[in-house]
Amino acid sequence: MIDINPKNILMRYNILVESDMTPEEVAEQLYPTDPHIRQVAKAVFEGDEDEVVVALQNTIDSGVDPLSLINDALMAGMEVVSTLYDYGLLYLPDVIISAQAMIEGIEYCKEQSKQIHESKGKIISYVVEGDIHDIGKKIVTVLLRANGYEVIDLGKDVPVEEVVAAAKRENPIMLSGTALMTTTMHAFKDVNSRLLASDINVPVVCGGGAVTQDFVSDYDLGVYCEEAADVPKIADSILHGLDIRKLRDAFHKH
Amino acid sequence: MSVKHYSSMEYDNFEDLLFGHSKYPVKTGLDLEIGAGYTTAEINYAPRPGAAENKATLVNEYERITRDIMERMVQVGFPSVVLETEHVQQMTHNPEWGADIATAQKAIMEEYHDEYGIKCALRHTVGDIRGNRESIDLRGDAYSRILESFEQVASSGADMLSIESLGGKEVFDHSILRNDMRGVIFSVGILGAFDVEYIWKDICNIAKKNKVVPAGDTACAQANTAMFVAGGLLDFKLSHSAASVVRAISASRSLAAYEAGAVGPGKDCGYENNIIKAITGYPISQEGKGSTCAHSDLMGNMAMQCCDLWSNESVEYRGDFGGTTVQCWGETLSYDCSMMNTALEAGVGKTLRDVLMVSDRYRDPQAFILSYDNAYRIGEVITAHPDDLYLRAKEAGMKACELIESGSEGFLELSKFEKATIKKAQNDLKSLDENMESFICNCLHTYSSEVDTFNPSNYGL
Repeated sequence: MIDINPKNILMRYNILVESDMTPEEVAEQLYPTDPHIRQVAKAVFEGDEDEVVVALQNTIDSGVDPLSLINDALMAGMEVVSTLYDYGLLYLPDVIISAQAMIEGIEYCKEQSKQIHESKGKIISYVVEGDIHDIGKKIVTVLLRANGYEVIDLGKDVPVEEVVAAAKRENPIMLSGTALMTTTMHAFKDVNSRLLASDINVPVVCGGGAVTQDFVSDYDLGVYCEEAADVPKIADSILHGLDIRKLRDAFHKH
Repeated sequence: MSVKHYSSMEYDNFEDLLFGHSKYPVKTGLDLEIGAGYTTAEINYAPRPGAAENKATLVNEYERITRDIMERMVQVGFPSVVLETEHVQQMTHNPEWGADIATAQKAIMEEYHDEYGIKCALRHTVGDIRGNRESIDLRGDAYSRILESFEQVASSGADMLSIESLGGKEVFDHSILRNDMRGVIFSVGILGAFDVEYIWKDICNIAKKNKVVPAGDTACAQANTAMFVAGGLLDFKLSHSAASVVRAISASRSLAAYEAGAVGPGKDCGYENNIIKAITGYPISQEGKGSTCAHSDLMGNMAMQCCDLWSNESVEYRGDFGGTTVQCWGETLSYDCSMMNTALEAGVGKTLRDVLMVSDRYRDPQAFILSYDNAYRIGEVITAHPDDLYLRAKEAGMKACELIESGSEGFLELSKFEKATIKKAQNDLKSLDENMESFICNCLHTYSSEVDTFNPSNYGL
């Protein structure tokens, strides 16, 4: 068997751009300064569900309103996770594990409070009709919840009728649909037509497998999303007033 | 069909692994022999959106695809070709659709074979339609329909039968997103292998009855999912080292099809086929640089190292500058095969094999563990535990960790994250249960509560 030194045929760009700092070291610089809040945020970062509850209870015991901790502590911890993910210092499972801890924390805060927590907005998530591949939808759903959105998860292989009915019923700020195959992704167009016919003009964010920007650009409500991590950013942009044209300008990459 | 568990390697030495050569070549189709000293392009395609509106439009679509491919092959002078029809859902749901398409395709292939003598064969890959909206039902009506589809395509012109089975996917998706190696072993090594063995006993019976070839399964729903989500070197989704460990474990799953009677060529998207070939001696199909129309895989050349069929994964049928897409990709694949076959004719096949392999060996841990020498080493630990699905999956995973660790002391450069995740995977695997019984018992408890769609009765548990 031949062997060679690969240095002339391969560039390790990923290693060349690596940070000298560990994710934990960077996170330490980003946590909120209040010691109680910091404890909650750190537990979220570490994805430790039990520790999240302990830290929340300690903070509540010090007289802080439980609902305020959702934004001030849990979301702050998740913000650290998202920032490090954007830096390339964390990977998707880290985000998923932290998000799960944060979601547990939100439930705990709600239980401890008599008031109602308002989410940032409502989003419908689904996999197109004829398609049962839902790993992408699962990722998107967790990331949206981790960013403070209420997600109506319709599941996989969802008929067009059902998507449209949910949009009418729930009044979402956007829809998020995934499709793996070219043979199924045309259901996006049917959803688009039916929503327009019902005068519902919300963005339908589409991505997954064989879905392309050209295809999604071809229907009025379509916004193409290549990376699951961009979906919460698109939702935030909608809250900041971006319409479909501006969303396409901001998030279409090709 | 009885089940034979492999307890030794059919190849004595990894140096004997070579493209176009398998220990047990497979004769099939119209004068084609796979793994008998030459490689052949295997062209895979998807109909245009909307073509599956009804049976007539779909049959027409596949007739056009088939004629386009055969025409281009003879226009450019290639001696052999394989066509793979991966069923769209409508074809498996309506078994007579698949049958009519197989009949139509085979008639065109026979026409070209009769007129030009081109060696050719038709693979039909039936869709695994056992997953539905609410759950996965591996043993119900959908299963019966799958078998009916196999029966009909086998009796209507398909020369080779394959499937990409779903078993274990529900627990796998949950586990891989949480870096949970225990769930990976359970879903791929145990649940997946149970399902593969179950379904392949029936497929092999159908193949035998119809005198066609039971060609094999892949861990597409698991290992390819990990590879696809992991993406490129600058992506930050899944660890490539973890995806490598999944791939090694997936070999013990895909092997179950051969233990139930499959004889190859294993399907193109089974990157674990390098390990399977080393264990079984049966020919394999592979995809690499010719499948960039479908996805990126970080081992475009290396995947060719031991292939017998060379595939493009799948391309949507449409027009391109050089003809239709199936013509363009078919021609590209066939030129690759010409290069490999020339190397074989000239007696420099192993040199070309090594060039192909080494060009990607250090690109990624996934390529590293699938390099033919390392693939062989993983096969060895799988065959060391012939009767224990748990141990063979676990040992395959541990061997992948060990290989990557030792590779990282040489030219296999790993990022800090990759180093950390391979260490974590290694520790997780080491800390797992001692035996299969307690492992399954613990996993049933955990995943029954954590994964909504996991139903142990699907696996006879």
